[in-house]
This record gives sequence, structure tokens and C-alpha cells, in this order.
Amino acid sequence: MNKKFIFVSAIVLLFQTTSLFSANYEKIGEKKLFNGEILSEYKLSNGLKVLFLPRHEAKVLTFQTWFDIGSLDEKMDAKLKKTGLAHLFEHMMFRGTDQYPDGKFDELTSRMGSEKQNATTFFYRTNYYESIPSNQLNKLLELESDRMANLKLDAALLDKEKGAVVGELRRALDNPGRLAWDELNRTVFEVAPFRYTVLGTEEEIKGFTLEEAQYFYKTFYAPNNATIIIVGDTEEEELMKFIVKYYGDMKAQEVPRYKMPEEPVQKRERRVEKTHPQATSDILLVGYRIPSVNSPDVVPLSLLSTHLSTGMEARLRKSLVDKGIAVSAGCEVSSVPDYLEFAVSLAEKHRAEEALEVINREVSNLKTQVIKKEDFERALNQELLSLYNMIEDNSSMANMLGDYLMVSGNYMRGFEIIDEFKKIKPIDLKTAANKYLKKDSRSVVIVRPQPKKSSRS
Amino acid sequence: MLRKTFFLVVLSSFTFAKEKTSFRSAPATENGVPVAPKVFYEKNPAGLTSDISVIVMSGSMEDPIDKIGLSNLVAEMILRGTKKRGRERFQGELERMGGALSASVSMDTIQFSGSVIKENNKKFIALLEEALLQPAFSEKDFLELKREILNDIVHVKNSNNRLGGLAARREIFKGSPLEKPGFGSKSTVEKITLADVQRRYNDFFDRPKIIFAAAAPFSENEMVQEFSRIWRQFPDGNKPVKRLVNLKVPEKPTLIVVDKPKTSTGSLFFAQPGITIQDPDRYTLSTGNFSFGGEPLVSRLFRIVRGELGWTYAIGSSYSALGGLSGQQGLFTISSTPSVEYTSKTIFKILEMWRSYMNEGLSSDELELAKESLINSYPFEFDTAAKRVSHKLTSFLYNIPILTPEEYSEKIGEISNRKLKAALTEKQKVNRWLIALVADKDVVAKDLEEYQKDVPQDERLTISKIYTPDELVN
Repeated sequence: MNKKFIFVSAIVLLFQTTSLFSANYEKIGEKKLFNGEILSEYKLSNGLKVLFLPRHEAKVLTFQTWFDIGSLDEKMDAKLKKTGLAHLFEHMMFRGTDQYPDGKFDELTSRMGSEKQNATTFFYRTNYYESIPSNQLNKLLELESDRMANLKLDAALLDKEKGAVVGELRRALDNPGRLAWDELNRTVFEVAPFRYTVLGTEEEIKGFTLEEAQYFYKTFYAPNNATIIIVGDTEEEELMKFIVKYYGDMKAQEVPRYKMPEEPVQKRERRVEKTHPQATSDILLVGYRIPSVNSPDVVPLSLLSTHLSTGMEARLRKSLVDKGIAVSAGCEVSSVPDYLEFAVSLAEKHRAEEALEVINREVSNLKTQVIKKEDFERALNQELLSLYNMIEDNSSMANMLGDYLMVSGNYMRGFEIIDEFKKIKPIDLKTAANKYLKKDSRSVVIVRPQPKKSSRS
Repeated sequence: MLRKTFFLVVLSSFTFAKEKTSFRSAPATENGVPVAPKVFYEKNPAGLTSDISVIVMSGSMEDPIDKIGLSNLVAEMILRGTKKRGRERFQGELERMGGALSASVSMDTIQFSGSVIKENNKKFIALLEEALLQPAFSEKDFLELKREILNDIVHVKNSNNRLGGLAARREIFKGSPLEKPGFGSKSTVEKITLADVQRRYNDFFDRPKIIFAAAAPFSENEMVQEFSRIWRQFPDGNKPVKRLVNLKVPEKPTLIVVDKPKTSTGSLFFAQPGITIQDPDRYTLSTGNFSFGGEPLVSRLFRIVRGELGWTYAIGSSYSALGGLSGQQGLFTISSTPSVEYTSKTIFKILEMWRSYMNEGLSSDELELAKESLINSYPFEFDTAAKRVSHKLTSFLYNIPILTPEEYSEKIGEISNRKLKAALTEKQKVNRWLIALVADKDVVAKDLEEYQKDVPQDERLTISKIYTPDELVN
């Protein structure tokens, strides 16, 4: 669930938006991507948004549905005030409708040859996805629209699914890295619901009722709260014909929007230490609050994180992994929650404090020195390579569009940022470091192994 | 950052190959003239990167048993600088041009896989050439690399899933280079010297063992010329020798525990002998496994143990537990992470379901589902240039055909439950399971006793061996 924005280099040509009215939908945009591909955007009269990128190299396509609902919303919802339901509900979306009872969705999508079929839930969104042979599009849309509109929530199935979700939660809790990340969110945010985990607690999961699940479904799974993304082998006319056929009759509804509680200004460093029975060495996480992905300051911060953590020549690798202090060391821009996160897995017999000292030194260097031109070039070209590799794959391309849409409201933001990369200079990284990487506004989490019991009692 | 490894020769059990071009969307060629290198290429006109792999047909199976990890060290050392450029300069130039290069080791190959933004294709190949032909092998870098690998090995103790696999390897491949993973263990890596690395490089990096694979937006001739220049500079040598290892499996279900106190889930890893990539029953067994446990969401294991019983989040079975099918007989495995109170129940449920599968095979619905799904998803095997190259490579390495969709459809279509049961009877065993469980040993012992309280003492499943995580990484 932890994510990084991969800020990409692209020349985005924004074409004049065209409006092509049809019976039930409107083409509201067409954009030419830097690689020449054309991305189209549509909106149905019920508010459902559709993004379509045709690709014909192979007779396959990726289909994704993104809902603008995640664990943050349920915590802020007056009727729920808990977390874990958005995720548990994501599981329930595979549990059947009247027309296609439990197991049928999986069976039929499997029969059509689907690949990478799954779903994920995060703080700010839930997505469902699969890739299919393109001649199966009609049937897939029938199934996907059916579960979006006609899910049958059953108490017995809800109970069974709770068992699987508790298993998922426990597996996560057995992972010391997961504890560290949860602690970082709890430490960085004093009031915002990022401090509550997406999976919820075991007690919350076991306590969800059928009524709460029904309320959640009826409230948030509305066409005007969803975006469909298709990348692959189909044609606009056929696609939109099917979309209108299967989604056109859904009714728009009022979806509640919640105002995120304002975080108090952090005035001093926060530090938390925990132990974990499965940890065999220290884990260190450091989070610096940064602005949202729409801020121009995120551009130099992103390049700064690449400079620190991408490749064999990355600063953190050289000063921590190569020196034998750590097994891995990374730095990434996280958005929603917005922070620059350092993550270090220490080598056995090394302490988190050693890594923190190195991070302090690297941050200090970034604040006092302008990075060399060749290091800047390295970071920029590594971002380009990453983007080029990513967009080649249909699913990854759809993921990138969907994720940027959900965090920034602008699915083109990833491509825009790359243009902005080309406009900044090495000194902008120094400026951003001085503005945001302040010791007083950071949070430090250390997870250590539990002390070994003495053989003497 | 997203990293992709290109043309991995560790394909799933559903990927097979026969040299035909009719269904490819881009031109494909093999150059097999004896005086030239073997090159597998796909032109990718719309590609923004060049994806290049150099494969040395010799892997961890060649490692001495007390120095497992040697091939991995050779591979990694080749990326740590050349005689002309120290490590920093080499890596700096590579990364500045928008390139990335990594090494991986399987039991029968060392593979260097790289990617570069297309404008710097030639510069990238020149650096790759220098790395392959003039590695620096510096003492300082060697010691640093060894320390890094040793740290990684010790860190595996943090991963319960990997510990289960390590325990199973120790038992089933005992006494062979496969008893430990390709990166070795603490004790074996510590023994490796720089002289060992140099010797291994000199003995195995030669023309008969080196092949090339690439997908790029350039003409095939252009790329073959580049690869030929590199290939010609390697010395003569011998063809790769195929080595195989016999598996040691218990006669009845045997439980070994990796003791991890205070876990809230158990990490289960069932293992018994699997198949080779050339096995004539491969399609049949893979199709059967699809519906038994191979395919999440629809397989029997998933539907029942997770969907109906809710005992676990993850459960599945695979013929590719060692990283993919190859010429070596691999493992057939079932893995799951049940909540700790369901661990014993899950073990016995899996054994019961396996017995039923061995005796009855699949229902007609399950078999039809598997066949339909596999046939319909076959286009995904060839939907990118990189995958098409990967198929050609696998076809060459293991001398197996690439099937057209029609041939594949026919092959899968003719599988019947009778055929599946015959293949299961011949290739799999009802009871010969090694079961590795990563969990708290005291909790496991108590739970097993409680669950089997009505079972006669001599018929009970008991813990036959206990490993500590330290023992497994050493």
C-alpha cells in the first residue's frame, strides 16, 4: 500500500477539449501524450468518468474501476467512525449478486482468460482491476457493472470474509516493517485519520454489521464517485456503446464529502520507539511533512528523493548499504498522506541511530550544497527510464493515471511533473530541502527486536 | 523505482514455446550461424527503451557445495566496475545515461539484464561490453559486496515465507548445490575468495555459453552487429554441461518447524517432487493444478480454505517454487499463512484435499474452467516484445517448442480427467510431503496434540525437526 509517485518526463500536448455529445455520454477531453498516444476522457450523464487509451500491439486490454472512497472517509463518516470497512467491503465485492451468486464473478472472469485480477484499498481510494483478451470486453462490463449496482450482501458470507481479512491483518502485523509504517502514520498525524490503519483493528473487522456494509455500498459506490480506465485493444465506438449499455442506467447520488481535520503545526521532532517479536534488526522510518502533489514544490522534492535512493550510485545506498550499516535504504515522496519518507532496514548488530546520523548528514548536505550537475542529470534520466518502462505495460499505465487522478484530481499530473522536471535546476533541490526538511517538523520511528530473555531467571 | 528484469528464463508452468512467427505482431529472428552468437531479438518500433539481456549458460548448479553463492558473487562483481572505470565511475555513467543493469542467477544461468532510454543504446552496449569482458574484480569491491550479500542473507530471518522455503530446500536437496538458494548461505559465502570468483569467470564466460536477447526499437542487423562484436572477444570454451540433482523426499507427511516465537500466523510450505519443463505431462498437470490451487480466487484450495472456512488470507499451489520450470526436476508446493489457531486444521485440510485430488482429479466443471481460462489467457504470453523474446529464449535453452494459439488450444483441449488422474498417479505422491511450518514451536506442538487427541499415537503427525532461523541462514 505504500506508494511512490514516479515523476515522469513527458511532453504533454494538451489538445483543445472537444465535446462530442452522444445520447448518454460526453467526450470531454482528448490529450496527446509525449509518446504520441491519444488519451480520451468521457463522462456519462450519471457522472461516471471514463479514461480510454487505445493500444493494439496485442489483442488484450486492462480494465480498472477506481472509487473515490478509502479508509479516511469511513473514519470521518458520522455513521461509521471506524476503519477497516472500506477494505472488508472490497473483499465483499467478489461475493456475488442475484444474477451472479458468490463465486460466479471469479469463475466467469477466469473463464474469459483474465489476468492480474484483484482489488486494493488505500486511504483515499479503492480500485478493482483485471486484464482480459479484448474480445471479452462485453461480458466483463456486464459483470463489473452488475456488482457495482446489484451487489447482494449476505451476513454469512460477510462473516466468512471477516476470517480471511483477519488473516490478512495478522499476516501484516507479523511484519515488523508494517508496524513501523503504521507507527509513522500515527506519529506524523495527530488528528487526521491517516493515523488509523486501512485494515482497521481485529475488533473493528469482527464487529462490522451487515447494515454498515449496506450503508457503505449505497453511499459510496455511486457512478458519480467512480472512474473507469481502459488501456488496450478496443475502439472508442464499441467501448462507449458497452459502457452506456451497462452503466448508463445507474443513478447518480449524493456522495458525502468530509473535511479533513487540520493538523496542528508540528513544532518539534516527534520520536517513537517500539519493539516487535519478529524483528531481527532495527527498522528506521523518518517522515518530513511536504505539500500535496499539486504543489510545484513536490517536483524538486521528487527529484531529491531519486537522487538519494535510486540506483547503485544513490547517496543512501553508498552511505548505508555499501558501508554495511543497512540492508536497504530508500527515500520516497508519498502523497495522501503527504510526506517525504526515509526507510532504512538496518543490518544486524547496527542501530537505527547510525542510519539517522547518516540521514542527518545527507539532509544537511542537501541544504548547504547544490548537487552536482551530473548527479542532477542522473536523477532526471533515472526518472525517465522508470517512466518509459512503466507506461509500456497496460496495467501500469492505467495504475498511474488512476492514482494521480485520485490523489490530485488530475490524471495527467504525472506527465505534467516531468515537464516541470525539465524546468528546474539543481539549486531548486537545495531550496526545497531548506524549506521542508526541517528537524523540528519531522517524525522518527524506530522498531527494534525484542530484547532476548536472560537465561538466568 | 520500478525495476524490471527482462526475459527471465523462469517462466510459469503455462508458458511454452515453438518457433512460429505467424501470430507475432513484430518481426522475429534467430541467428544460429556457428560463427556468430545466438541472438534472440524482437524489434519494438514504439519502444522508448532498449531492453537487453546477456545470458551465460551456467548457473548456481556449478557452485561447489561449500561455496554456494559463487555464481551470484561473480555476476554481481561484473557490475562493480571495469579495468578502465572504477565502480563509481562505471555505475555513474550507466545511471546518468538513463540505464540500469542488474544480474540474476538461476540454477543453470547467470543473466545480465539491462534497460536504457533508446537514445543511449550504443553507449549502454559499450559499457555492458566493458563490464563483461574487462571486469575489475577489485579486492575492495569484493569485500564490500560480500558484506552486503551476507547482510542480505541474515536479513532473510525477517521473512517467514522465505524461511519455510529454505527449510524445505535443506531437506529435499540435501547434499547438492540446490540445498541452499543461489545467493548461498552465511557459511558458504564466507568461504568464497576473490580467486574463486576470477577462476569461475575464466572457466565459464566463453563463447559457447553466451547468448543474447533483446527487444529494442532498432533494426535487428544493427543489434546483432553489436552483440557479435562482444561475443567474438570471449575465448573459446566448452558447451555447457547439464547437471541434475535427485530429490530426497520422506515416505510419509513429515513436519519440520522453523521456530518463530509469538507469530499470529503460521507460514506453511508443503513440498514434494514436481516436474521438469520438458515433462510430457506438464500441460496436463499444470491444467489440473490451475483448478486445484494454482489460480487465486477460483481454485479449490482458495475457495474452500479461504472462501468457505475463512482460515487464511493466502493459499495456493505451484510447480514453479524454485523460480520456474527448468531441466531440473523442481518442487510441487502448497503454501498458506493461516491464522495461528487454524494451523493444524489447515495442515490436515490440505492433506485431505490433496488425497481427494489425487484420487478423483477434478470435477468436469473445474476441468472445463481451467481449460477455458488457460486457452483464453494465452495471448498474454505474447503481448509484449519482452515476453516474446523470453519465449524464444526458453525454447532454445530447454529445447521445447513455442506453440501457436491454435496448437496450444488443441493441446489443452484434449486434456481429460482420466488423463489428469493418470499423470497425477505417475508423477505425484499422496503422502510424500515435506511440510515446513514457520511458527512458534510450542504453540504448534500444543495445537497438534489437541487436534489429534483422538488419533492413535503412532499415526499422529508430530514435529520431526526444529530449525532456528539462524541455522537456516547459516
